[in-house]
Amino acid sequence: MAVLAMNPRASVAGTLRSELTKLRSVRSTYWTLFLLVVAGVAWAIADCAGEASHWPQMAAQDRLGFDPTQSSIVGLAELGQLVVVVLGALTITSEYSTGMIRTSLAVMPRRGALYAAKAAVLTAVTLVVAVVTSFISFSAGQYLLRGTHVAATLSQPDVLRAVLGSATYVVLSALLVFGLGAILRSTAGAMTTAFGVLFLVPELAKALPSAWYADVVRWLPGGDVVNAVTGTRIGNSNPHLFSAWGELAVFAGYVVILLVVGALAFSRRDA
Amino acid sequence: MIEARGLTKRYGTTAAVNDLSFTIRPGVVTGFLGPNGAGKTTTMRLILGLDRPSAGTVTVNGKPHRQSLTPMCDVGALLDARAVHGGRSARNHLLCLAETNGIPRRRVDEVLGIVGLADTGRKRSRGFSLGMSQRLGIAGALLGDPGILMFDEPVNGLDPEGIRWIRTLMRSLAAQGRTVFVSSHLMSEMENTADHLIVIGRGRLIADCGMAEFIARSSGHTVLVRTPEPDAMARAAAAAGGQVARATGPQGAVELEISGLTEERIGDIAFANGIRLHHVSPSRASLEQAFMELTADSVEYRARTGA
Repeated sequence: MAVLAMNPRASVAGTLRSELTKLRSVRSTYWTLFLLVVAGVAWAIADCAGEASHWPQMAAQDRLGFDPTQSSIVGLAELGQLVVVVLGALTITSEYSTGMIRTSLAVMPRRGALYAAKAAVLTAVTLVVAVVTSFISFSAGQYLLRGTHVAATLSQPDVLRAVLGSATYVVLSALLVFGLGAILRSTAGAMTTAFGVLFLVPELAKALPSAWYADVVRWLPGGDVVNAVTGTRIGNSNPHLFSAWGELAVFAGYVVILLVVGALAFSRRDA
Repeated sequence: MIEARGLTKRYGTTAAVNDLSFTIRPGVVTGFLGPNGAGKTTTMRLILGLDRPSAGTVTVNGKPHRQSLTPMCDVGALLDARAVHGGRSARNHLLCLAETNGIPRRRVDEVLGIVGLADTGRKRSRGFSLGMSQRLGIAGALLGDPGILMFDEPVNGLDPEGIRWIRTLMRSLAAQGRTVFVSSHLMSEMENTADHLIVIGRGRLIADCGMAEFIARSSGHTVLVRTPEPDAMARAAAAAGGQVARATGPQGAVELEISGLTEERIGDIAFANGIRLHHVSPSRASLEQAFMELTADSVEYRARTGA
């Protein structure tokens, strides 16, 4: 047997490359990313084409409240989170469902490094795809709205923030379920819990007495975050919410908590 | 070199591994033997740092594997051949492992060649037979050209050609001076492969000795003899102090099971009496018997006979 010329050492850079190869070498990655692009762009086309066709009959007040930016990119956040949770969960749970985790940890026993590399590669890949999708969706939407004379441009206030915020929300959703996956070690469990956090919790909160709801709504994940992050019309936003960045920070806070708990579970528990 | 000292792993109140101490040395194949559920896999997981011991320590080349800076160079392991992502090709699977340790891509092709998967490297591993999966697992273990190799039940599901291949491989790896640690629940798999044996039952160490010593220790060591003159041979063996039992071998041939005499002695007796022998071998059943006796008190799951 040929003895290797170089002395193999486990490294963070190598682990990043390995995790990228893991992601690139299975079909589910391409399917979920393809669906993410389709979801974002298809929403933009459907919504903006619809608004454009209604425009001539639209009441003046509705025209004032119309947010052309949000119409084109809210789909990426709203639908994209549904798609990207699959990728976020599988990044970590497929290691457990296949048993691959045992080999992965045998060749890279520094668990913190492996966990961080997984999260970093997931972040990078979803960020690139989501940002590109967001710009495509925005451009497609504004092109379709060109006849309304209210089509947005990136140089207008808050528009670039909304376009990037929509993509960031998608990345955070992926990381949220990644953290859940590390804690639960089950694809179905992680995805179900993620849907509970993103959709069920905000709905249940609406059952609260309205005074309480006004106090807690700004701290909720899910729909109101999407609304705040993707909106560019001050008048449309809920007065009980933080600013767009504030809501994104709240959501990021939950993600960080889950990522940290996931990291502890990943490094402390038996594999 | 793998060293376990007082190694213990408890799940709740049951101890899967209980106060194990052993040293696995380089240059020989060490068989790790025990009935199903004896704690072999748990021990291997502890060695790799996948599980944390409840007490005691286990080190690989003097330090816990979790602290290794050169993990693939230190130890290559095959725990479960099916534990790969079925959607990934064999080559990409190995590449994922290699990249973590900065092992070049050509080494991936090299190990695929060594295990005989060069032509199937681009196929998704979902369609692999168990034998092909075992070969892929072994390829992964060899990637880092490690000084220690660890295989958990490697011949499970292999055809005879595959079994012979893996035996030859393990022997040659040991001959190169590597530490080879291989588990099995079947004695018969070990007798042609292992030089040294570590036997456990219910998580406890039962025996840690050389293969020859283990065979000699077994109380019911018998020699199987096939001869066209069974009556003469039986008389001669009995006269020399052996106990003789008659059995029916394959194709109805008469076989003698002689205990209390070595193979050499039996050959000499036959020669002295002018008896032709067609077959002389230590009875495989006796090795199994020795193993069963040794582990009789520690079998986790046993079918109650007559129940």
